[in-house]
Amino acid sequence: MLILMVFLPMLAALVCYPLCRNSERAWFTPAVVISGAVFAMGLLLLSEPTLADGIYGFCGNGIYFKAGGLRTVMAVLAAFMWVMTALASPEYFAGARANGRYFLFYLWTLGALEGVFLAADLMTLFIFFEIMSFTSYVWVVQNETPEAIRASETYLFIAVIGGLTMLMGLFLLENAVGKLSFENIAEKAPELSPRLRYTVGVCALVGFGAKAGMFPLHIWLPKAHPVAPAPASALLSGILTKSGVFGIIGVSCWLFDGVPGWGNLLLVPAVITMLLGAVLAVFSVDLKRTLACSSMSQIGFILTGVSMCVLLGEHGSIAACGAVLHILNHSLIKLTLFVAAGVVYFNVHSLDLNDVRGFGKDKPLLKLAFLSGALSIAGIPGFGGYISKTLLHEGIVEYCEHLAEHGQSALPYRAVEWIFLLSGGLTLAYMARLFYILFLAEKPAHQHQKEKYMSPMTGAVLLIGGALMPLLGLTPHRTMDRIAAYALPFFKREPMARAVAYFSLANLKGAAISVTVGALVFAFVGMKWLTGKADGHEVYRDVWPRGLDLEDAVYRPALRALALLGGAAARLVETCGALLIYGTVDLLFLGAKDRVVPPEDRQFSAYEKRSERGRIERSFSADLLYAACGVLALFALAAWNMLR
Amino acid sequence: MNNTFTLFALIFPILSGIALLITRPQDRLKRNRFVMLMVCLSSFFVLGTALCSALNGPDAVYLHVADLSDKLVIAFRPDGVSLVFGGIIGVLWPVTTVYAFSYMAHEGRENLFFGFFLITFGVVAGIAYSANFFTLYLCYEFMTLVTLPLVMHEMDDKARAAGKKYVLYSMTGAALVFICLMYFLRYADTLAFTYGGILNMEKVKGHEKELMTVFVLAFFGFGVKAAIFPFHRWLPAASVAPTPVTALLHAVAVVKSGAFAVMRLVYFGFGCEFLRGTWAQAVVLAASAFTVMFGSVMSLRMPHLKRRLAYSTVSNLSYILVAFASMSPVGLVGGLLHMVFHAVIKISLFFCAGAMLHHNELEYVYDMEGLAKKMPVTCGVFLTASLALMGVPPFGGFLSKWTIGTAAAGNAGWAGYLGAASLIVSAILTTLYMLSAAVRFYFPLKSAPLLPERVHEADRLMTGPLVYLMALLALLSLCSAPLSAWIGGLV
Repeated sequence: MLILMVFLPMLAALVCYPLCRNSERAWFTPAVVISGAVFAMGLLLLSEPTLADGIYGFCGNGIYFKAGGLRTVMAVLAAFMWVMTALASPEYFAGARANGRYFLFYLWTLGALEGVFLAADLMTLFIFFEIMSFTSYVWVVQNETPEAIRASETYLFIAVIGGLTMLMGLFLLENAVGKLSFENIAEKAPELSPRLRYTVGVCALVGFGAKAGMFPLHIWLPKAHPVAPAPASALLSGILTKSGVFGIIGVSCWLFDGVPGWGNLLLVPAVITMLLGAVLAVFSVDLKRTLACSSMSQIGFILTGVSMCVLLGEHGSIAACGAVLHILNHSLIKLTLFVAAGVVYFNVHSLDLNDVRGFGKDKPLLKLAFLSGALSIAGIPGFGGYISKTLLHEGIVEYCEHLAEHGQSALPYRAVEWIFLLSGGLTLAYMARLFYILFLAEKPAHQHQKEKYMSPMTGAVLLIGGALMPLLGLTPHRTMDRIAAYALPFFKREPMARAVAYFSLANLKGAAISVTVGALVFAFVGMKWLTGKADGHEVYRDVWPRGLDLEDAVYRPALRALALLGGAAARLVETCGALLIYGTVDLLFLGAKDRVVPPEDRQFSAYEKRSERGRIERSFSADLLYAACGVLALFALAAWNMLR
Repeated sequence: MNNTFTLFALIFPILSGIALLITRPQDRLKRNRFVMLMVCLSSFFVLGTALCSALNGPDAVYLHVADLSDKLVIAFRPDGVSLVFGGIIGVLWPVTTVYAFSYMAHEGRENLFFGFFLITFGVVAGIAYSANFFTLYLCYEFMTLVTLPLVMHEMDDKARAAGKKYVLYSMTGAALVFICLMYFLRYADTLAFTYGGILNMEKVKGHEKELMTVFVLAFFGFGVKAAIFPFHRWLPAASVAPTPVTALLHAVAVVKSGAFAVMRLVYFGFGCEFLRGTWAQAVVLAASAFTVMFGSVMSLRMPHLKRRLAYSTVSNLSYILVAFASMSPVGLVGGLLHMVFHAVIKISLFFCAGAMLHHNELEYVYDMEGLAKKMPVTCGVFLTASLALMGVPPFGGFLSKWTIGTAAAGNAGWAGYLGAASLIVSAILTTLYMLSAAVRFYFPLKSAPLLPERVHEADRLMTGPLVYLMALLALLSLCSAPLSAWIGGLV
């Protein structure tokens, strides 16, 4: 069944593609049916946590799959996201071109992603990870605008560099431990030399981190998500980035189980990502870009949880649960929010906050769904996001206490806790700003709007996504704790010893701090600094300096300089061989006079415009003659040798 | 007699080529029929020899031609590794012939072309099936001479300059190899290929340093044909030749002969035991690793598609050399595997480039934006082959690169890690130089359609071989594990 889950979408897409490549809508039914079938298989998988499967010899070393734990949870979540976005797609893609192509790569990516999540060893994971990078590239470039092409190139480049860096790590690891299955790695890991272990770890972190949008490899994320079609953005942001997170969890919990050094190493980029994403989101004036930056920040939250899980060693259950649940929540939230953004876009045909303001004024369903997602991601009690953020916060606090017990300074981790709360506040600030602009601000005079602003199907998707948040958030012990406990074996942690009192005063205090920070930032930065007045209506200013772009300021110039230097150096050394050979020829025939090769021989004479200095032969045919003489002489010598 | 197969595999193409050169038929249809028949028959003999050898063992097809002395023997004995090379040329030669019919119709002087084309087939088969270093050396020299008219086919200034360069570089390489041959005569009891080496260690004692120097020289000597830095320059220059030549000879037959000869030198001449862990290994491994990166960097800088592919060949051949220079059985398997995959992939890419050049006079990458609408089959094949060349799983290129990488990394020492690292860097660059061309076919950056109206898809004789090659690639990719196991068993 595992093999079927991976290859069914891939093969079915190939079969269906010729049938519906030129039609605008024909792909819809197969897309829903196929991803629905994968979702159903995923649900069946929940009851079989030990299933394993594989194809021997595929791609050389064979590919092996395994169910259970986080793997199944992620596989089910991915298929769910696919079904939901497929349902929301027909409206979004109405009138668009090349829908058949999108559909083909849509299903291929599903297969590849299931392959990543169900992989039993790092090799299989890598193979499907690479396939996924290439197939999802087509999503980003789908609109074929210049921005889309540029963003997709960045995406592809980062993905390829990341993937290959990871491959280097795999070379080293396979060399040291043999088979690359997670169990084997965990068994042999303690015997590895620290240097090798960290080299492999960093290589893998670059590869997975690039996909997860981790600083400093995040540059593709805020650019690729806004240009992709909205359903694709929902998937890119909601679940594709999680494949990177999944890989980082795999490396952290199997290769570096209980190595505090690794936890600290991971914590630094995680915290930077968390804060930077939130700050970028506050300053963004593009609806989808805000959501993309928000994704980056939330990935930072999850990675902070993972590193806390590593730091805490066997006590890391709470942090691990937080990470799993935040993955789940974030996926569902981003599904709702991006689909809502899609609704805005195909009505207004713009994502600029100045154009879309006030769009949702009299649209209650859109408003409620968006509000549910926004409150959940901001960690307001009663919604799913609060539960997972509380657990993540608990994880940090627990490590601080753990350090205090052992008489060590917990100061850096207290700082992490404060950054955590600050980022949570910023989350509230930018989501509140979006909500204010979309639903409360005044409408501009001329705003496009279709007759019916969305179809019932899209509405249903928003309803499901929006309703899930309070549903999960109000019944944490019945729903969320169980999911987390199911996923924990992949972290190699025991289930939580005691149920966390989510709504206790101590836990609500953290949320209260975040809310206060968020309200202050919203009021003073969002509403005052970033909002101006012109012609009697509000203007949302883009104050982020243009030059402050890591890609344009550092990466692209560096790459160009490297290419220039490399090319110049290559040209320079390239002449070595020629100099060697022609130099030797010149040296040999130093005394010979310059000769002009006979111009009357059209066939074999002037075979170069500039005549060479110091050649003894008269023409090319003479050359051949000499060569033949040489061979004959060799034969004669040999024959003489034999006769003697 | 099984060895009549071997004899025919060598003699048949050479004789039919000479016959074509003498009779010079003027009717195109007749000539094409004759050439096709002869190529198919030769291919049948080449593959038949391989099959006989695989079934009955190499000694059953042993062909003894002449003794010049007790050591200088001309003989052919297709053993395990020969089968791989023989199989590659036996399968790819007929495809190229079909492609060449269409391509050469416009180039003219087809008798000359197909005559030498046939002779080359026999000579390359000779290299694949030779039994000792002397025979290998003779065939190797002979190959330089018979392929020269093919390189210089156009006979304009550029082609002649390329031809001259080719001869000069090849002769330099041959001279270096000749030194090695002399040393073998002195320090080995026989010249016949023996896995593990032919050196007589008693005689060698005290002369190790000298022999290692000779090894390095000979490695570079054979490496000239495999375009190892600094002797690579002839290969991009030779891309002026007609595309069937660049595709078959300069991506498969000639250059792979170089790599194949290096393999004979390392595994069947000096022997891994003697060389492993010495400075000689470090030198050749480092040179190969450098060429891998160098070729990719240069390729990225080439806007001319065929030249870009030529530099990519430089880089990929050195993948094979890195594998052989790692001097382990895994390296041998990886190198042979990459020989197979690179052959199929690169010949497809050159065919695509040829179709674009030949039908539409498109030579530069920046002129080809949005080409996929006009040439869907060609561009589709180009994209698929690009992905395979980059080593995207599940294409076969991934397995061969993986094997080479593990062989290089498994070879302890800085040069091994350098080799593995160069593979990674080069893979990134491969992505850049292949996709920066292939992606533009589908997603043009310039908004206005720049392609002239007359641009059209290639004819059936060209797209047919392309589709066939893609089917072959898919088959090989699917069966890559058994293939790898089979090659592992041959060694």
